[in-house]
Amino acid sequence: MDEAATIRAAQAGDAEAFERLVRSYDQQVLRLAMNLLRDSEDAHDVYQETFLRVFRNLGNFRFDCQFSTWLYRIATNLCLDLLRKRKVRRTEQATVETDEGVVDRLEAVAEARPAGDPQRAALNRELRSSIEHALAGLTPRERLVFELRHYQGMRLKEIGETLGSSEEAAKNCLFRATQKMRQALGEFL
Amino acid sequence: MSCQEVRDLIPLYLYGELSFDEEERVEQHLASCAACSAERARCEKLTALLGEGEAQVSAELLARCRRDLAAALAKERRRRGFLTAARGIWQRWVVSPPMWMRPVGAVAMLTLGFFGARMLPEDSAALGPLARSSPPAVVGRVRLVDTNSSGEVRVQYEEIRPRELRGSFQDERIRRLLLAAASDPTDPGVRVESIDLLKDRTADAEVRRALINALRTDENAGVRLKALEALRPYAHDPETRQALAQALLTDKHAGVRIAAVDLLADVKEPDVAGALQQLLHQEEDQYIRQRSLKALAEMKASYGTF
Repeated sequence: MDEAATIRAAQAGDAEAFERLVRSYDQQVLRLAMNLLRDSEDAHDVYQETFLRVFRNLGNFRFDCQFSTWLYRIATNLCLDLLRKRKVRRTEQATVETDEGVVDRLEAVAEARPAGDPQRAALNRELRSSIEHALAGLTPRERLVFELRHYQGMRLKEIGETLGSSEEAAKNCLFRATQKMRQALGEFL
Repeated sequence: MSCQEVRDLIPLYLYGELSFDEEERVEQHLASCAACSAERARCEKLTALLGEGEAQVSAELLARCRRDLAAALAKERRRRGFLTAARGIWQRWVVSPPMWMRPVGAVAMLTLGFFGARMLPEDSAALGPLARSSPPAVVGRVRLVDTNSSGEVRVQYEEIRPRELRGSFQDERIRRLLLAAASDPTDPGVRVESIDLLKDRTADAEVRRALINALRTDENAGVRLKALEALRPYAHDPETRQALAQALLTDKHAGVRIAAVDLLADVKEPDVAGALQQLLHQEEDQYIRQRSLKALAEMKASYGTF
């Protein structure tokens, strides 16, 4: 069954079709949320809310854009809201408490990486920490555009559509973001 | 194009986001400018380094998200089903009832008014002695309606009285009602709530049987998930394990299968290995397959035989 047929079936109340839609995109949505928010609880909440909103509003989806664009619009708006709230509250910290004590937030999310030799691991830790700080220095929109282009591989045109903005505006955001990242990570180049 | 202009465009060039003309001019400049070529190499290195910053999503987090979403969707569907049904009933029987229903409706309104009046406070002057009779009831079915020559209306009806029972789980009547509610076919919400209350009583074999029955036969995935979670402490019990293996192999809902594989993967028993091996021949969900492979590896069991 192609995607349009699956969407129509889900709109008609077919629970299995809806689940197929979720399974087609849920890993990307979770990775997007995790990359942007760097917090598994927040990423979990964005995941839930995104797909609940999709479920509630799927009947209003009229195929006037790609389903993925519509879905990402919901997910990115939720992430943006959270990022903006964090900026206001300045609650984002570089460390996070886990069962094994306080660890670097980025370490916590990159725990699945295989361990190399100690010297390389230390360098990677330093690099990841620098990337984390560089990302934290971006505005929420710059961070979002950078994430969508760099980690999600979306084209600027699609990013513009997802964010309800123009391709040119997305390009400017990406330009500013890469400049900042280049500046912040200059010592590693 | 100046060196500065080219350097500004290099990141977009590497992302393939320049127009054909811009890309052409950047490439021409790079071919003849060593300094800008070096900058391009640095930007390429930056792109590669940024891969280190990508957050990893653990399989556990994905499984938890899927599980919680399945439960939230089940709740949402219940709510939606109730609203749709209520709207349909309102539309069909109240807003535009069929012609034949109208006299019956009138009698029903009369009956409702009668019982409604009896629910008013006893000191209501308008009702007088009527208010001092039996407690209110729901009219189940009107069996007979007629009038006599003096204009008196006769209505014969069945009534359903809601009853309430309070007490601890030790009260046998409460226990029986909860066990019955766990398989009540009319309301999955009641079944979920009942199973939630029963989950701390799984030492009771009858409770376990009710939960296993819900896991095996309940049509609602949210209820099956709830039952599966409640059975967690008894994953080592052969009967429970068998039900979990059956859910893993036959449940239509991937959320239930994920919960089952997570639970069974921690049970290092030979029959579990058999179920996991069998699963690999039929399961399409990547997470479930990976979890099974990991569990089999931990159990030092082969992937291919069963």
